[in-house]
Amino acid sequence: MNPIVELITKLGDDAFILGHRHSEWTGLGPILEEDIAMSSMAQDKIGHALALYTILHEQFGGPDPDTIGFLRNEKEFRCCHLVEYPNGEYDFTLVRHFLFDHAELLRYQLLRQSTFAPLARFAAKVMGELKYHVLHADSLMQRLALGNEESHARLQASLTEAFPLAAGIFEKSPYEDQLIAEGVFAGEALLQQQWLKEIEQRVQAWDLHLPEAREPLAGLGGRYGYHTPYLQPLLDELTSVFRSEENASW
Amino acid sequence: MYGGGYVFCEPDVHGQPDDPERLAEFEARIDRGEKIEPQDWMPYEYRRQLIRLIEQHAHSEIMGALPEGAWITRAPGFKRKLALIAKVQDEVGHAQLLYSAAETLGKSRADMVNDLLSGKSKYSNVFNYPAKTWADVTVIGFLIDAAAIVNQVANSKGSYGPYCRALERICYEESFHLKQGYDAFVALATGTKRQREMLQDAINRWYRPIIHFFGPPDNESVHSKQLMRWKVKMASNDEMRNQFLDAYVPKVLELGLTFPDPELRKDPQTGRWHYGDPDWAEFYRVINGDGPCNAERLSARRLAEENGRWIRQAIMNPQQKFTIPFA
Amino acid sequence: METADRHLLSTSVDPRLQRVQRHATEFHLLEQPEEWQTFEVFHQRRRGEHHVHVGSVHAPDAEMALVFAKEQFARRQQCASLWVVASAHIHSLGYQNEDMFATTTEKTYREASGYRLRHKIQAYKQSVQHESNS
Repeated sequence: MNPIVELITKLGDDAFILGHRHSEWTGLGPILEEDIAMSSMAQDKIGHALALYTILHEQFGGPDPDTIGFLRNEKEFRCCHLVEYPNGEYDFTLVRHFLFDHAELLRYQLLRQSTFAPLARFAAKVMGELKYHVLHADSLMQRLALGNEESHARLQASLTEAFPLAAGIFEKSPYEDQLIAEGVFAGEALLQQQWLKEIEQRVQAWDLHLPEAREPLAGLGGRYGYHTPYLQPLLDELTSVFRSEENASW
Repeated sequence: MYGGGYVFCEPDVHGQPDDPERLAEFEARIDRGEKIEPQDWMPYEYRRQLIRLIEQHAHSEIMGALPEGAWITRAPGFKRKLALIAKVQDEVGHAQLLYSAAETLGKSRADMVNDLLSGKSKYSNVFNYPAKTWADVTVIGFLIDAAAIVNQVANSKGSYGPYCRALERICYEESFHLKQGYDAFVALATGTKRQREMLQDAINRWYRPIIHFFGPPDNESVHSKQLMRWKVKMASNDEMRNQFLDAYVPKVLELGLTFPDPELRKDPQTGRWHYGDPDWAEFYRVINGDGPCNAERLSARRLAEENGRWIRQAIMNPQQKFTIPFA
Repeated sequence: METADRHLLSTSVDPRLQRVQRHATEFHLLEQPEEWQTFEVFHQRRRGEHHVHVGSVHAPDAEMALVFAKEQFARRQQCASLWVVASAHIHSLGYQNEDMFATTTEKTYREASGYRLRHKIQAYKQSVQHESNS
């Protein structure tokens, strides 16, 4: 695979699957105002996926975005495990959103310098949305972590579950060195380092703690097409109408 | 989406006589076409009926998010998926705007939600039917939203300022809902044979709830002349239904689709639409809780409230008291 | 959540609801309705314009009110800036004093339209012309 295609595919797949997960809250979210905010972030994420798949289509002669999103099989997806997990209760949704969006904001800050111009342009465009996603996550995380006993315990439990999975966000691609050398992307190692600093600082201030030991391979495999058991059923549902009639337009 | 097509009325048991001088002043203001604002004096019955109307409208929006929401995870393709999330999000947003408008009359959102979940408060019948296939989503997005617009445009000319202001924004967003619904509807109508069949099936399922949407015929309706006089209710059920049928029946027929009603026709003399007996007994059954999805819809809302409770409680500042919104 | 509710949701056409597996907490209505504060929201479309009142949100504090207001009131229209203020902090000179706003006596002296000069100037010009002609 072309290294840039591989990079854009994983960025798009992360956004697509997480946006899909966010949208499961639409109309069922806690508190109307928060329901609305979560639905906006769902649209933002799915919109990012669409824009990235469009780059694949236009710059690399890939299939159209709908085909990329709705007709690939599970093995062809390059999303990380963290985004595949079911929403669970709102605390898990929120902690995942917090961990993921801090990485996403830093990632696109780095990508603004990308030598691959379409990606650099896209990165500049999404900064505003990602800034809001991080503000939203931080605001709610802080208040709930410092809220009452129950909310603190919920966030801690979800953090203990989600943090090891977040390592999968930074799983190196097979073309990592080449991407760095060509100035396409500064690399997962640097990103993870920056991210950890942001997360640690906040978690400490909010009286939460990151889990100590973890399985060395936790959360890994997604970038190589090895997924959690949650992805296939998600894709079955996501594509059920689209695939129900061949050559149909919806 | 919706609109308080049908204002459910209970007999007023708590009413006290209003000060005749203030009542005359109030009615003169409405006759002059002026809006009533939250801080104004208003008759007890005006406030009561408005709370009921706006509250039911808000409940209908939040319940209306459920049938279509069922297809968010299955919407076919990026365009449909994004549009559907945006549309259902707008409905939740409308509920938020409408609860706020109702709150200005003195009833808190929590009280309204409590009344919804306990079954005390009503919402539009149409959302107590299931969206069985993707085609149902397109029928809802096109025809139910079109019906809602007829209703809401009428209501937006009513007398209560905060409700009118909320409806102004709602109507603006509804025009997008209608457009995206029509687009998805036409995609099926002009699609494969199977797509057309699923669309026709969906129309057959939704025809009766749509006829019911505007409420019972005027001769059965219990609305007082007073509500019209006070510009709480702006148009009669039959007028709105007729306006809707006028505008949208041809749009469905021109696509070679049909309605499951051999009696549906427009009388060229009177300009009124005639339709077959839509079984008003069913309408009353559903509004009293016995529709195909009433119980499920309430369960889903209870779930959402439960999802929110620990969050609300955790960030509650005990020093601060709830005040009703200002305008 | 009550067992009856869970059963109902498991037969829903909504796959999101079918999946709901929750701890068995009993749903209860609120006896003491708990409610966050309300904040009034003011929206400025473009720099240079006024901030205009557009509605209200429920939020635990001002910062969260801004986070929520952004999506409820600025997601669809252009926005340069948002303000929120607790509803309780609004003071108004309201409708009960509406008569104070009425202008009853002659106050054209403070309107631009209260000053009409053109006819005076015209008359003057005509008289000057008339004099020079004669």
